[in-house]
Amino acid sequence: MTLRHAVQGVAVLGALAALAGGVFAQGRGLTTVDVKSTRPTPRTASGKPDLSGYWKGTTDTRPVGNIGKDLPGWKLPLTPAGEAALQHNLTATIDPESLCIIGGIPRHNASGLPFEILQGANKIAFLYWYSYFRLIPIDASRKHSDDPDPSFFGEELGRWEGDTLVVDSIAFKDEKVWIDENANPHSDALHVVERWTRPDADHIHVETLIEDPKFYTRPFTYSRTWVLGQPDEELQEYACSENNVDAAHLGFGPGPIRPDGTRGYLNPAPLPPPIPRTAPGKP
Amino acid sequence: MKPALVFVAALVGMAAGVQLLAHHSFAAEFDASKALRLTGTLTKVEWTNPHIYFYLDVKDDNGNPVRWTCESGAPGALSRRGFKRGDLKLGDTIVVDGYRAKNGANLIDARRVTLADGRIVSGASAGDGGPQ
Repeated sequence: MTLRHAVQGVAVLGALAALAGGVFAQGRGLTTVDVKSTRPTPRTASGKPDLSGYWKGTTDTRPVGNIGKDLPGWKLPLTPAGEAALQHNLTATIDPESLCIIGGIPRHNASGLPFEILQGANKIAFLYWYSYFRLIPIDASRKHSDDPDPSFFGEELGRWEGDTLVVDSIAFKDEKVWIDENANPHSDALHVVERWTRPDADHIHVETLIEDPKFYTRPFTYSRTWVLGQPDEELQEYACSENNVDAAHLGFGPGPIRPDGTRGYLNPAPLPPPIPRTAPGKP
Repeated sequence: MKPALVFVAALVGMAAGVQLLAHHSFAAEFDASKALRLTGTLTKVEWTNPHIYFYLDVKDDNGNPVRWTCESGAPGALSRRGFKRGDLKLGDTIVVDGYRAKNGANLIDARRVTLADGRIVSGASAGDGGPQ
């Protein structure tokens, strides 16, 4: 390597690092670094916090996609039935989301993908990648139905407790569902209570209580903070069923889970080295 | 190998690594022990969700063309990182570095794509838990 090549290399590195730094600083990707905010919580005409915005996960959320994120060793308190359901998911089911089945709650809250909220006076809409949505009534007088139809997002009721939007959900499906990306299970006894706050203009936060006495010995919690996207960022069309060629090639379960609680192989084989690009005018 | 290209590859990978888009786990479809390089002629492009696919005719040991399916990320994620639909032109010679499907199909996770003009782009479905 000549000095000239070294200088060129450093120059390219600097330019690309600046570019990459710009990307991170401006948060143009699907996730972003956390930011400090002094901007106050926006509020609606009724004085309640306005949760509307395009929300992106931060690099502080680890492991992404694991509903046991906040538990020691990411160890979920599975009952024997829950352990059996996990083994079934790992060895006999293909990731429902990869088959274009709605991920539901709480899986979407553990996802690495951004989401968007549009808040009205009496309803709030959560819009997700995959072009899925959930529409939640905000009405403290509403009660859960008798024998509600199971669904992927459940029967969701919203109410304000001060500046906190509480979403209480029951009536979930128990087939073709994983509670997170790692194939952990939930049953039709799942009960999820989300407590959403917007502490400032640039952050939204959820505290989630997850109860499922069939599959988990005790309730557990999952909390997470997202950062507001740029003003011109918004959800794009993402039609999962458009061309899902991969579905025919997927194995059961998520594959190996690494010690850090994320999906993937620990020691993948390296790719062949990149092909040097011939400079213009040179052979 | 020129150091600048190492830097390019590293930074492309780094940029990809912070974008989380996970339609499915890498490990549910691909074998991380089967890294390979394909060089072939581009015969078809599907710039679609949830993944783009492009198809290469790759010559086998006898010189006969074998069709390979190359899977990359979603159009939105790829175009944001500078890998555009117009970068793939039928008839181009494309080099794909990636991992073969676990089921042995002629399907590769096209994590690094060397375009006909020599430009290297990341095709990874980032956030899928695959090698970065």
